[in-house]
Amino acid sequence: MEEYPEELRSPPVPLVALVGCSDHHRPITTHLLSQQTPINTLALPDFSKLTHLLQRSSSSSSSSPAGFLKRDWLIKHRTKIPAVVAALFSWDHVSGDPAQWVQVCSDLDDLKAAIRPRNTKLLLLVVVGKSEDISEDRLLALRKRAEVDSKYLLLHNPDPSELDNSLQRLSASFAELGDTFYRDEGRRIKARIEKKNFSTPDLQVRYCFKVAVYAEFRRDWAEALRFYEDAYHALREMVATSTRLPPIQRLSEIKTVAEHLHFKICNLLLHGGKLYEAVTWFHQYIGSYKTLVGAPEVIFLHWEWLSRQFLVFAELLDSSSATLPSVSSQPLGTADQPLTEWEFHPAYYYQLAAQYMKEKRSALELAVSNSETFNDNDDGSAESVAPSLYIGQFARLLEQGDDSAIQSITDDEYTRYVIAEGKRFQDSFEIIALLKKCNELYSTRKVQRMASLCAFQIAREYFSLGDFSNAKQFFDGVANLYRQEGWVTLLWEVLGYLRECSRKQGALKEFVEFSLEMAALPVSIVDSIQSKCSPGGPASLEQRELIHREIFALISGEARPESFNGLDDLKVTGENTLHLEIDLVSPLRSVLLASVAFHEQIIKSGVSSLITISLLSHLPLSIEIDQLEVQFNQSQCNFIIMNSQKHPLEAVQGEQHDHRMESSPSLALVTNKWLRLTYDIKSEQGGKLECISIIAKMGPHFTICCRAESPASMDDLPLWKFENHVETFPTKDPALSFSGQKVAQIEEPDPQVDVTLDASGPALVGERFLVPVTVTSRGHAIYAGEMKINLVDVKGGGLFSPRESEPLSLDTHHVELLGIVGPDWEDESQKFSDKIIKIQQSFGFVSVPFLKIGESWSCKLEIMWHRPKPIMLFVSLGYSPISYELNAQKVNVHNTLQIEGKDAVLISQRFMLPFRRDSLLLSNIKQAPDSNQFSLLPLHESTVLVVSAKNCCEVTLQLLSMTIKVDDGGTEKSCSIQHGNEDVGTAILVPGEEFKKVFNIVPNMDFPKLRLGVVHLKWKRHCGIKDRSGLTVIESEVVTKHELPDVQVELSPIIVTLECPPYVILGDPFMYHVKIRNQTELLQEVKFSLADSQSFVLSGSHSDTVFVLPRSEHILCYKVVPLVSGLQQLPRISLTSVRYSARFQPSIAASNVFVFPSKPHCKMVGITEEREEEPAVAD
Amino acid sequence: MIVCVAVVGHQNNPLYIQSFTDADDALKLHHIVHCSLDVVDERVNNPKKSGPTLNETFLGLLYPTENYKVYGYLTNTKVKFILVTTDLDVRDADVRNFFRRFHAAYVDAVSNPFHVPGKKITSRTFADRVSTIVQSFGLSSAA
Repeated sequence: MEEYPEELRSPPVPLVALVGCSDHHRPITTHLLSQQTPINTLALPDFSKLTHLLQRSSSSSSSSPAGFLKRDWLIKHRTKIPAVVAALFSWDHVSGDPAQWVQVCSDLDDLKAAIRPRNTKLLLLVVVGKSEDISEDRLLALRKRAEVDSKYLLLHNPDPSELDNSLQRLSASFAELGDTFYRDEGRRIKARIEKKNFSTPDLQVRYCFKVAVYAEFRRDWAEALRFYEDAYHALREMVATSTRLPPIQRLSEIKTVAEHLHFKICNLLLHGGKLYEAVTWFHQYIGSYKTLVGAPEVIFLHWEWLSRQFLVFAELLDSSSATLPSVSSQPLGTADQPLTEWEFHPAYYYQLAAQYMKEKRSALELAVSNSETFNDNDDGSAESVAPSLYIGQFARLLEQGDDSAIQSITDDEYTRYVIAEGKRFQDSFEIIALLKKCNELYSTRKVQRMASLCAFQIAREYFSLGDFSNAKQFFDGVANLYRQEGWVTLLWEVLGYLRECSRKQGALKEFVEFSLEMAALPVSIVDSIQSKCSPGGPASLEQRELIHREIFALISGEARPESFNGLDDLKVTGENTLHLEIDLVSPLRSVLLASVAFHEQIIKSGVSSLITISLLSHLPLSIEIDQLEVQFNQSQCNFIIMNSQKHPLEAVQGEQHDHRMESSPSLALVTNKWLRLTYDIKSEQGGKLECISIIAKMGPHFTICCRAESPASMDDLPLWKFENHVETFPTKDPALSFSGQKVAQIEEPDPQVDVTLDASGPALVGERFLVPVTVTSRGHAIYAGEMKINLVDVKGGGLFSPRESEPLSLDTHHVELLGIVGPDWEDESQKFSDKIIKIQQSFGFVSVPFLKIGESWSCKLEIMWHRPKPIMLFVSLGYSPISYELNAQKVNVHNTLQIEGKDAVLISQRFMLPFRRDSLLLSNIKQAPDSNQFSLLPLHESTVLVVSAKNCCEVTLQLLSMTIKVDDGGTEKSCSIQHGNEDVGTAILVPGEEFKKVFNIVPNMDFPKLRLGVVHLKWKRHCGIKDRSGLTVIESEVVTKHELPDVQVELSPIIVTLECPPYVILGDPFMYHVKIRNQTELLQEVKFSLADSQSFVLSGSHSDTVFVLPRSEHILCYKVVPLVSGLQQLPRISLTSVRYSARFQPSIAASNVFVFPSKPHCKMVGITEEREEEPAVAD
Repeated sequence: MIVCVAVVGHQNNPLYIQSFTDADDALKLHHIVHCSLDVVDERVNNPKKSGPTLNETFLGLLYPTENYKVYGYLTNTKVKFILVTTDLDVRDADVRNFFRRFHAAYVDAVSNPFHVPGKKITSRTFADRVSTIVQSFGLSSAA
């Protein structure tokens, strides 16, 4: 588009001229340009300049024209010929003396004479001062003189306050007059067209063009478009008829003019938003001119012209695409003339422009070679040829002194000229620029295939220019897309170019890579394509084999292929080794694919297992591998497989190698056939064993490193997966092909050490329980042994219950690991000074000394239970069977033992009142008997406390002592505790047996809540016949504490004591006393009643009310005669204290008495005493 | 005259491509077929609001190059058929008819139990049938 002159590219702008009073020109010019419809201004200082400007050229005559459009006509009207001339006069001059007036009049006359031939409109502008009074007469005279309408005589006031107004009036008048001028001009020429008032059809084109331009001046786009189209059609008809010029030049002129007209039309259509019409128009235009190829020797001109048309239209579309509505919203073509979406896209036209440019280049090359062969005698006549007066015409400029004359030229001369011109341009760069633009546009729209086709064409241009690095860059991108989508033939072509690029650049590695990739492409005979132009040769099996042989000849260094002659860089020699890497995404995977599968997923350390290495190649011919190196992440497992045909193993073994060497009878890779190699593999290290890569060595200096792949997760070869070919499994065992992995887990060796935990029976709460741990080595020496001990709650969770996880009890574990006792700890403490022992409440850590095979070591864990709870003891021993090294392989042994923690004894207590002595305790009466929380003890009365300890474990215990210890001194005063029997001796308590001890308690103080103290029971495990206590428990006494419940103490107001002999004899009367003691300071009224009993007859009052004086005792006496022998119920007495309204009846047990039939004949003294001393036990 | 027909798989890989011209054009035709996939993508991704093209297998004219016209057809298994012709004045009905027959031939070819879906079509019968269809292209309308 840039090659068109500016006046053609932009819409015309009306032109006006200002004459005289040049001081005022600048504000007027600026104002007119800034209008909505801008107006260009010619500012002329004096009137003579205008006369000169408006002079008509003398050459304009009515003789037949020499061309369609004059080259300078448009620019003349845009920059030289004003539509309106505004004559500026100063009011001073107009109203001044006669001499000035005469000057004004003569200027005006000159002006009128000058503008008349061109019908230029006149505008009078009188510049007035600020305070000048205007004489209408002079203005009228001036107007008459100038013959202008009154509205075209304007007063211009340069005063800032008035300036805006007068400028606006001025621009309105200018616009109006300009419009009139252009309409008149257009109408004048239109009349000529309508009357067909022209001598040649050439003029019709010219006239239409002029009318259209005038319409454009008036911004009448519709009319402009119509007349441009008229001009275009008129021109098209002249292609066959015009004879004015020699045929080549004639066609060239017509095409050039048509191009101009077409450009105008398209521009107008696109600016009018008629995208669809513009595209259709363009297609019609190209359709009608495409066939006008012209003379064969200048056919390149046609291609150049076509290319330019596409380029210009693309640029037009491109520049207007921002303002146009989007393509998708428009209907795409009509039924008979379908248009596709690409035809609205500039990239499509850029692409075609590039294509025609290529046609042009080849045609030009042909023309140049022809002209060189036929016209050797180049007389230089082309040199003086220049564009002539008319658009699209060329002529010879003859310079004779100062004058220059124009001479028309013959077609031969013209041909020579255009060929000479054509040679000056580098079409390739033009093509590349066009394609790049196209590529860019397609890429931004994510149209990747078209973009890559453009990139391919760019690359080919670069290739033909010899710019291989640029070419390679583009080819690479294209090749990636074709690889991805599996377009093998296209890929073959690109690879052929890439291969040639790297050959030309001397890049050996790339050359080999591209060659191998090509050789391994799935190009078969079926879709072979004979492409002569591609450097890769035809895509066929033969060519693949050719490339294969070439490459392997190169890498083996045996013979240099002929194609490498002159390229010394491509040599695989000692210092020029070649190493190819093939990873999981490399296109070279089809050259060599390595699949590695361990036969077992989990391998024991040190135990050998099998590994299968499978190799596959799609190269057309079989290849022989010299040696294969298999690399693992554990480098000591690496091994090398030698081809025994080439290198006998014996020869190799002479050399010193770090790695294991294997030998295989043949390492030949046949096309599409897995080469399967199975070998032993053994790892000493634990953890993951992964095969990393397989390095194949072929020839002395060529290696391919191929990343190992697991058969289970192996991707298909991207290009071969679409091919119909035999597919086999990488391993013989199909199951392994589906599940095989290149990774195996190496397990640590089986431990050869025993850890035994020995605990006899349950642990008892409170004792230091010993658990012996023995480490015995069966087959491993123990280096750097570390034993970890963990105590875990069997039910899970910590060793303290969550309910008690309050701050106080947080740190008190129910079960605690107290320590670890070695066998001869003290003796060897110096020896094992590095021994580490860490003990926490539930976790311990101890290091185990070095043990030789067969030795054993033991220690004891001291564990204390605070609560009965089963726990799980975990002991884990980690050791290294080989050495003390830090990273040495560790072996772990675990053992667990569940230990029950139990309470040894269950302590309970009971309060009892003395026999036949009852205290009236008021609180007992008031409360319901069940809800009694505290035992209620009468004040100053002795109460019997029986503490019993029951062995509730399975171990025989030996009791050492039982005491009640009072915590604080205060209690000591409040009650006195007397031990019933001093010593328990060595009481042996078998499981389930109960031991009882009696204490007498006399509360001394009235205290609502009395703490009695804590029972301390000292015991130890009873050593039976077989002494095992040393094994399990430290020989020590254990104190079990039991806190006695608090009691309530109350003064009892009345104490009733029954008195009767311990036994009676049948028929023998005895006295039965009921003593009622009033302990209060008040008189107590007590009602009593005595129930009769069948077994007894008695004398005394049955019921009565007695008054007991304060602090005195009332005794009720009965004489009773037993009638029945045996244990008999005495007549029961029930008392009621009237004051407290409390009824009281002694217990049945208290009122029982044994009746002997006759007086017993035994010594009864001792027994009686015994019974009196220990009444509670007998109960 | 039909110069090239192609079957393109749903991964945009060529399954069958056959040109019916001199060997020199073959690569160019491959390029044209490959590029036309862009138009297919565009059509499929941005369906026009206009009714007739909705849910239709026939995609119509894909794009005109200077000498060729490219038509497309998309099966419901996302297999594309591409037709490249040098006739500049082609009737839609002819193309539709061609594609219908071509589709039938394709279905028969892939119904072969020995054919692995997704692999290239190498059946000779299919190739013969396609060339018959190609030769008869446009004849029915002329008759």
